Amino acid sequence: MDSIWYKILGAIVTVVMAFIVGLTYMGLSRKITARVQNRKGPPFYQNFIDALKLASKTSAIHHGFLHHVGPAFMMITSIMSVMIVPILTGDQWFSNLNFKGDLIFLLYIMVFGPLGMALGAGQTGNPNSAIGVTRGLSQMVGFEIPWVMALVALMMQYHTTSIVDLINVQHQSGTWLMFSSPFAFIAAVLAMLGMFRYSPFDIVGAPTELASGPVSENGGKYLFTLMSSNSIFAFAKLTLYVDLFLGGASNIPVLLLKTFAIYLIPMLYGIVSPRYRTEQAIRYFWGWPLFFGILAILHATVF
Amino acid sequence: MNTIVLIFVIFLGGAILTYFAGMLKGILKEILFLATVFVPLGLFYTQISTGDTFNIELAGFALKWAITPFSYLFALIVISVATMAAVFAVSAMRGTKNLGFFYANFILTIMAMMGILFSRDLVSFFIFWEIMTWSSYLMVVYRGEDVQKVGIKYFIFSAIGAYAMLMAIVIVYNLTGSMMIDTLVRAYPAFDFNMQILIPVLLLIGFGVKSALMPLHVWAPGAYSHAPMAYTSVFSGALSKMGIYGMVIVLVSLISYFPQGHWFREVIAWMGGITAVMGTLWAIKQDDAKKLLAYSSVAQLGYIIVGVGIGTPLAMMSGLFLAFMHALFKGTLFMVVGTIEKQTGTTNFTEVTGLIRKMPWTFLAALLSIIALAGIPPLGGFIGKWMLYESLMSSEHYFLVIVIFFSSTAAFLYCYKFLFGFFLGQEEKEWDYVKEAPALMVIPMLVLSFATFVFGVFPGLILNPINEAMQTLGYANTQGHLWEMSVIFNDWGNQVAMQPIIYAIIAIFLFFLIFLTLKSYKNTRYVTTKDISSSGEVPKEHENLTFSINFMQPFFRAVEPLMKRQIDKYYNGFANGMEALFDFTRRIYTGNGQTYAMYVVIFVIILLLLKNSFFG
Amino acid sequence: MINDKNSQKIVDIIQNWSRKHSIWVLAYGTGCGAIEIPPTMTSRYDAERLGVRGAATPRQADVLLITGYLTTKTLKRVIRVYEQMQDPKYVIGFGSCTINGGMYYDSYNTIKLLDRYLPVDVYINGCMPRPEAVLAGFGKLQKLIAEGKATGATKYKENIEWYKENQKKVITNWVMPDYNW
Repeated sequence: MDSIWYKILGAIVTVVMAFIVGLTYMGLSRKITARVQNRKGPPFYQNFIDALKLASKTSAIHHGFLHHVGPAFMMITSIMSVMIVPILTGDQWFSNLNFKGDLIFLLYIMVFGPLGMALGAGQTGNPNSAIGVTRGLSQMVGFEIPWVMALVALMMQYHTTSIVDLINVQHQSGTWLMFSSPFAFIAAVLAMLGMFRYSPFDIVGAPTELASGPVSENGGKYLFTLMSSNSIFAFAKLTLYVDLFLGGASNIPVLLLKTFAIYLIPMLYGIVSPRYRTEQAIRYFWGWPLFFGILAILHATVF
Repeated sequence: MNTIVLIFVIFLGGAILTYFAGMLKGILKEILFLATVFVPLGLFYTQISTGDTFNIELAGFALKWAITPFSYLFALIVISVATMAAVFAVSAMRGTKNLGFFYANFILTIMAMMGILFSRDLVSFFIFWEIMTWSSYLMVVYRGEDVQKVGIKYFIFSAIGAYAMLMAIVIVYNLTGSMMIDTLVRAYPAFDFNMQILIPVLLLIGFGVKSALMPLHVWAPGAYSHAPMAYTSVFSGALSKMGIYGMVIVLVSLISYFPQGHWFREVIAWMGGITAVMGTLWAIKQDDAKKLLAYSSVAQLGYIIVGVGIGTPLAMMSGLFLAFMHALFKGTLFMVVGTIEKQTGTTNFTEVTGLIRKMPWTFLAALLSIIALAGIPPLGGFIGKWMLYESLMSSEHYFLVIVIFFSSTAAFLYCYKFLFGFFLGQEEKEWDYVKEAPALMVIPMLVLSFATFVFGVFPGLILNPINEAMQTLGYANTQGHLWEMSVIFNDWGNQVAMQPIIYAIIAIFLFFLIFLTLKSYKNTRYVTTKDISSSGEVPKEHENLTFSINFMQPFFRAVEPLMKRQIDKYYNGFANGMEALFDFTRRIYTGNGQTYAMYVVIFVIILLLLKNSFFG
Repeated sequence: MINDKNSQKIVDIIQNWSRKHSIWVLAYGTGCGAIEIPPTMTSRYDAERLGVRGAATPRQADVLLITGYLTTKTLKRVIRVYEQMQDPKYVIGFGSCTINGGMYYDSYNTIKLLDRYLPVDVYINGCMPRPEAVLAGFGKLQKLIAEGKATGATKYKENIEWYKENQKKVITNWVMPDYNW
């Protein structure tokens, strides 16, 4: 039961589940957006059809090797994140290859893919792609600060950098970190708005402004890989939030409920917001989110 | 003859010989140069073991040369960068004037660095330090451009550092009557409070100048970018580490025995943190690759100083590991810039674009080193960064860790700018003639950058000498509970195992590479960078669509307030103030004989008056 | 397995089904017809419920929507965009102008018969066609895709010389790279 093949099989199942859940959430978000705008909207499985369509495109172009492998870099990040974040607590099947769930390592592997993708976007020679990348990197500098502050507050308070340990802390104390470290939660959630890149922080893709930015030269199989990777990545990020602040989940329905609850925050915030300019986005993150981050660290050190 | 002496004799003799051989034609001088670099370093690596000593009495001072595990670690840095840079230099500098001068200075620098590491007494330490400073100064002004601005700045700051150090040495000699470093370390706890502060501060000014610590870093961008790139990889990679070497000795062997040393370390660490942030922000702003890398070196040295300044076992390990990694990847990156300068004639991001298909191997080396620089797993830089964060958190430096995180996230911006500016973007017709550099230039770069990969997977290869070095400094053995061959731990017992991570990354990458390649293989085409979707327009040959001017403009709009203050301005203000003072003195010392005669008369009258009023 | 005829047929059915229900449109707003796109996409008619969605660049798009009259100057860009799209791709001619020139039938600088320059899969008649008509047009295209009859792109490839000849006849300063696949 403990053999490596068993674990790898479990990992593959997890990735497939992350893919399905992520795509469903994105489809639901399209549906909800449509309902908010008083439209009927596409069916919730619309994104599966889109993905299948992209996969069944028969031709593709690339601008060179880096552009060709850019989506593969992105996939590394997504799948590694799913591997590192514990999906279900105490479940053998979903323990994955989780490399002890180290948070700092996770933070760094989370930028591996976007940077690899950015290199691919750079090689296309499309100015829109490069502009999108610079915007994305600038925005990342913006939201990483409150996000890291929230994480540092948690790690300092409980003397661990492991996600598994943080879940155990919540199990032992019986309260979720969302309530016992409220400031860290607020800072992290505000940072999440930037991480998910919905409005008002969709400055990277900005379809009407940058022609979808970094992905503007990707079609067919490349776009398919990126789309799958995004959905897997979204699931990994949501699970991370659930693990850190909502006490993890012990079975799949609870996990879905909690992740969807978290997912609603950036989505609903996005539906009613227009787009920021890049420097406005950065300054947003260095305003209230930063303040809450500082409060979180003070809270962690005082108690 | 003692091997230690033999090494220095070969260095010195080789330097003189190559200087004269530089006038010859043919490859004799190059062979001589390479031999002078490789033979002593090879001798060092094979013949010298820790504990070998050499004593000599010179002008009344007892000099002692020996190698400790700690200096052996830094010697490894010097060896790895210097040998590769030497191979690179032979090919890169071909065809330039004053080649003998370059080679001789190169060898002298390496000799001086080895000398610093060998010295166990302050006299020879200082002498070698000065040789290092002088030879590097001559390299900074080697091309004879902007000597007034850049060379003088470097010279002044080095002189300030050297005088501070000399003062400390004299004070030590006065207090202890001996020049040995060991004596200083033993006697230090018994000094009175003022001396306990004064000696480390003076020494740290000296070392801080070389390691580009925040208020003393002003010389670095100019000097790094003006020296020939083949030399700068040694300059930034190895030479700046001599400052770190001294700093570690001061911080660990002296400050630890001083009751308020905790605050001292705190200040140094924060200075390192601010250095890292400001260095990063300025690096993002540069449009010249040399300047960008120079500021980036300042920032990276900031991380190292933070690690060394905190001084817990994990922090010290991270500082030393980062020092090693920085030597490898920054050495490579300066070589990359040197290659591009040689092949295209410019190092400006706004001019050169799209070299990736023309110089693939150079790009590979640049890519690996940039990944290591950014600290992204699985390469070596990540290990150092990880240990740095963990040590900062477990030693409760709440806000310093945020500062470091900010700086290393912002570092992605200049990392991307470097790769994009040179290698990616539109492939312009203007640069069609560019070819890959000769193998002698490419191989050193590839060797160094693959080393960062190997040390990322097996950090134990470097952590082992670091561990031994730290034990000589008085730290406990950290093997097993802070690191293993490919596993790193933090103080709380959490760990990252690099090997399974590497396997997983490679497996995922290969899977998707195969998927992307094989899927509709026949209908996947390469198209040129002119064939982009630009609203149906066809870009003409002369239309440059590369986005490279004001590259990070939105980011700078956001961080504008931070960038307004420039330390340079304060120094300039200080210089202007001094000038005004000198102007004022010139008003007194006019140079006119009659004025002086008047002064004398007035002086005599005053004296008379005073005499009368007091004694009359 | 894939070579087996029946399984190939099943794969085709699934792929065509997905193509049918996911139509990413590159709305090339050439003429006045572009004004009918926003009402088609927004709340009242909501084309998204049929899987019709805007695409930002030709690389991602499936359908090229040519909304109205085409001047010869614009035709150049349209051809360029069409050639940058990935297979399978479709063209919808929108409004009378693309069919026979419409009210510009005697204009010196518009093209009258779009089909001579690009392979049109579906025409939507009208001047302007209302959003209902546009939706009907998409419905027709979906039907053709499902049946595997929307083969404009293959036609274009087979008769590339004829199309190029026609295109070069009206575009005098031809500076584009030739369509070589």
